[in-house]
Amino acid sequence: MSNTQPRPVESERIALKARNVSFSWEDTPLHWVPGDPFTTHTINVLHLLLPAGERWFVHVYKQALPLIKDDRLRADVVGFIGQEAMHSQAHDEVLPHLRELGLDPTPYTAQVDWFFEKLLGDRTLPPGRARRWWLLERVAIIAAIEHYTAFLGDWVLNAGELDRRGADPTMLDLLRWHGAEEVEHRSVAFDLFLHVDGGYRRRVRTWATAFSALVFLWQRGIRFFLANDPTLTGAKASFKDFHQRGRQGTLPATGDMLKSIPRYLGRGYHPSQECSTAQAVAYLAASPAALAAEKREAA
Amino acid sequence: MPKPRTLALIAGAALLTRRALRRRVQGSPLWPLPALDPPISGRPRSRAWKLLLTAHETIADGVVRLRLEGPDLPRWEPGAHLDLVLPSGLVRQYSLCGDPGDSSSYTVATRLVEDGRGGSREVHEQLTEGMELEVRGPRNRFPLVDAPAYVFVAGGIGITPILPMLRSLPDGTEWRLLYGGRTRASMPFLEEVRKLAGDRLTVVAEDEDGRPDLAALFADPAEGTAVYCCGPEGLMAAVEEALPEGAALHLERFAPRAGADGDTEFELELRRSGKTLSVPAGSTVLAAVRGALPDLAYSCEQGFCGTCQQRVLEGEIDHRDELLTDAERRDSMLICVSRARSDRLVLDL
Repeated sequence: MSNTQPRPVESERIALKARNVSFSWEDTPLHWVPGDPFTTHTINVLHLLLPAGERWFVHVYKQALPLIKDDRLRADVVGFIGQEAMHSQAHDEVLPHLRELGLDPTPYTAQVDWFFEKLLGDRTLPPGRARRWWLLERVAIIAAIEHYTAFLGDWVLNAGELDRRGADPTMLDLLRWHGAEEVEHRSVAFDLFLHVDGGYRRRVRTWATAFSALVFLWQRGIRFFLANDPTLTGAKASFKDFHQRGRQGTLPATGDMLKSIPRYLGRGYHPSQECSTAQAVAYLAASPAALAAEKREAA
Repeated sequence: MPKPRTLALIAGAALLTRRALRRRVQGSPLWPLPALDPPISGRPRSRAWKLLLTAHETIADGVVRLRLEGPDLPRWEPGAHLDLVLPSGLVRQYSLCGDPGDSSSYTVATRLVEDGRGGSREVHEQLTEGMELEVRGPRNRFPLVDAPAYVFVAGGIGITPILPMLRSLPDGTEWRLLYGGRTRASMPFLEEVRKLAGDRLTVVAEDEDGRPDLAALFADPAEGTAVYCCGPEGLMAAVEEALPEGAALHLERFAPRAGADGDTEFELELRRSGKTLSVPAGSTVLAAVRGALPDLAYSCEQGFCGTCQQRVLEGEIDHRDELLTDAERRDSMLICVSRARSDRLVLDL
């Protein structure tokens, strides 16, 4: 087979459905990875970015639905939308808890809201080519971001070091439920991108946009948290801290992150070649939040 | 190879730019992004809390009172209810009937419904003191509005949202209460209500006094009287019937009428598409709309993900989701589960 076409792995496919999860945060401490504010806040940046980001995914995908001519892909996208909507809601509920712990995230999240609602919003475009171009561009950006959410999902499912350090079980369950669903639906965004456009130049361009935006927002989020954490004075974020945590296993390793870049840019890339659906399904079958959601749906 | 002078110039310019940027960022740490005003994130529709069940006691025939404790509970206004997530996964709404100023505990009371959907049976038989329960809320769909005078009509367990209202009314307010039930022994909080209301109270126990005399209750009402009624469907229908002119009626239903039984067919207009459809008893609004607009977004089909929320232009909505806030419920619905209470619904689609 030629190396220039994406090669999906069919056995990694699974039917997608949203789960009605619910988390209560009153027992989660501010530094939920005990004694490690840097790791805590690096992962906490997720709560800053995801409520607005995943709401934006849903917003964009609602507009992309009419472009889908394939029933199987349409069913996948419908399941994807519900899962993303629940991710956005679940992370959003952490923010008031942070506020109660004395770390008000609003100055930062209001900017992220602006970023997704205005900068990446619908804009005032004439119907026709301009509007379609902007929609396709955003669909491609989402595919690039989903490459990283799947990467992080896979990482957190395997991050045994967080358990060994005694990280808060509710937070770990939120991250792993989310991570497992990201792994479950990792191919949908890329399949949609292939279905509506799939151009290699667009893939590279939007990857560069998404990657730079993620790095910019993330490092800023870590610095914001460390500067405003009421229990810390003069804490500074550095790349060294990040690299060190990566080697210890409480954050993704720098090397793994770098290696994931050429994979996405390879012409034969398809998300189903990475991560394991079986592992995600196994976690969801044991996740306290997913089990409670199942009961709620059966009741 | 560029000349050393060019290199020095470029390096100098880069240093100056870096310094200027640093200064700018130090002056305003979150530069250069603008913020959305008002922000959206960080204001979830509701939040979950795990509370400790510290009291589970029978306070009248077939009625238990639950006391749920936790630290720093959100405040609530009379009329508010709590979503209780029962161990089986069932979610049920119960009116708060304790003290709104108490930030360390919530009190609810529930009646055992013999042929109900299982929620009250679980509360009565499965819950025990010392259990942890997840709750959501509180939310208020039955708020006490300002009015020159009030008439309250409570049927049995329907006293629960009304009790905190009675306690919160300022002295000198004109109000009356009709409290009905099957037997006196089955009516919770009777003693407390009697103390609060004195001669403003009419107690009607069906086994002794028969049906309540609503005509007498509504005789010569003050202009703008607010009527609050919570009780069985029959009582609420009778109050609606007997309502005097100029009075505003506020109803609180015990539970959404879920399930296919009791559903009726209604007409659905999609205003922007100019289409009129029918939603049969066993089907959903979403199914009808998808027939006409196949590209409409939806997802969970169970009323929790919020994807299918649509604006409602006309018609009375029968909300059956657990997601939307009270403000959202005024003019929008989740079309995958919610239906119409009126014969006709107009959507902005």
